[in-house]
Amino acid sequence: MQYCTACQKAIATIVVMDLDEGSVSGSQHICTACAEQLGVTPPQQPKFSGEMLEDLLGGLKETQEAEAAPPPRLECCPGCGMAPGDFRQKGRLGCPRCYEAFRHELIPLLMRIHEAQAHAGRLPSTMPVIEAHTAEERPDLSDLRQKLEDAVRGEQYEEAAQLRDELRRAERGEKS
Amino acid sequence: MTDERGMRDRSEEGPSNFRPGAWLEGTGPHNDIAICTRARLARNLQGFAFAPSLEHEESERLFSYVIQQLGQPGLPEQLNVVDLDPVDDLERSMLVERHLISRELASSERHTGVAIDEDESVAIMINEEDHLRTQVFGSGLQPDDVWRRMEQLDNALMQRLPMAWSEEFGFLTSCPTNTGTGLRLSVMLHLPGLVWSEDIDRATNAAQKVHLAVRGLYGEGSRALGDFYQVSNQITLGRDETKIRDDVMLAVGRIVQWEQEVREALQRGAARVKTLDRVHRALGTLERAQILTSEEALGCLSALRFGVHTGLVDGFEPQNVNRALLLSQPAHLQCYTRETLSAEERDQRRAQLLRELLGCTP
Repeated sequence: MQYCTACQKAIATIVVMDLDEGSVSGSQHICTACAEQLGVTPPQQPKFSGEMLEDLLGGLKETQEAEAAPPPRLECCPGCGMAPGDFRQKGRLGCPRCYEAFRHELIPLLMRIHEAQAHAGRLPSTMPVIEAHTAEERPDLSDLRQKLEDAVRGEQYEEAAQLRDELRRAERGEKS
Repeated sequence: MTDERGMRDRSEEGPSNFRPGAWLEGTGPHNDIAICTRARLARNLQGFAFAPSLEHEESERLFSYVIQQLGQPGLPEQLNVVDLDPVDDLERSMLVERHLISRELASSERHTGVAIDEDESVAIMINEEDHLRTQVFGSGLQPDDVWRRMEQLDNALMQRLPMAWSEEFGFLTSCPTNTGTGLRLSVMLHLPGLVWSEDIDRATNAAQKVHLAVRGLYGEGSRALGDFYQVSNQITLGRDETKIRDDVMLAVGRIVQWEQEVREALQRGAARVKTLDRVHRALGTLERAQILTSEEALGCLSALRFGVHTGLVDGFEPQNVNRALLLSQPAHLQCYTRETLSAEERDQRRAQLLRELLGCTP
């Protein structure tokens, strides 16, 4: 335990080190109040949050994708001509095809808003009287999506990344 | 009866025989606290840009196509389609006050419209932020009936209009906050007990923690005039319609129970005289005041509504109090006085109208 070298009253909780060409040339033990006055920001414990998790996973995703393939360069939506910058600025989509065009940026946004990135409710295709509008049949991926969400919640990043790749492959119609 | 534009003919209606619409009927379970349940679905058509990005000609083409399809027989609801182009600002504001259209639709410069059923329990907004915004209302707390009706209508609409959707993202909407189910389920609640006991912040915080939005029904920003609140889901993606309904109803059920308990506590012991004072002061104001602002009127009507439902005052029909709530809104007030009024004239007229409506001595 050491008293603050600045005010000599409070217990010092922060050590300020002077660095000279990479080596420590001196140090000062100060309290939080003096640190504030001196303009030194006390180190803060990061608060663990869903957003952090998402960032972590996002970072992981980006790393993995960088290894596999460079991230797709965003181009204007072929449906309505909306530019990526417009989407980023407004946070709105111009037409249904924007969902595919800006998919890469949209998914983290959807995760932030809904804590999910895939639909789980009604669809015209699940209603018997209506013809499905998709050209191709897709396998049921809801199990895989659920596992991915569980892995993210359970902080199983490696497993999450694997599941995500598996999901991508399945969506492209490839066999895992 | 509707006029040639599809708007309800109000020429024979006055304050005494005024019909407030399904959401203010004052019937249905827990109607002392839950004013109404509303489901809203956001839907867009394939092959068109979303409404805010539509070129003028395309917007017109979409509008005509939707109107024509809604006019075809076979929908489970009997709808009158109103083209909002010839409808003036006052009547648009009335539709907003009746919750049939949004403020955004009322002030939109696009070609917009709304399809409404006879008892105003279904309204489909056309060319709002999404091409279609379908709403179903039910008085009181009745999420199952409201959703069943909505599901039937949505199925029928999807049979005649090709909606934009994908397996991955569900129904595609202009704003990503609605993507997926496109469902916003909300309950309008009257919570004077929680406001008076200062528990309201705890109640709204608890709802917000489970991703529900809580906002005042009247007034701007966070101020909830007249102690009226609206609780709705924020998440529309990754949860199906049943889960969304269960989440909203779980929270709403707890808030309703909390309000009931507080209402009972406010009528017991030392609290009783304060509660009686509050209700009777409000009644005194409504009976005698010559000038009433919208804000003061809402406050007094809230206290009166509390008094009527708890049995602290008698001689008033709950439906009349609900009617008074709507009739004291600016556009309704001007419509039934059939003249445009300044703010000061409106406050005088409001005081007079409320006295008449509630059967108070002049």
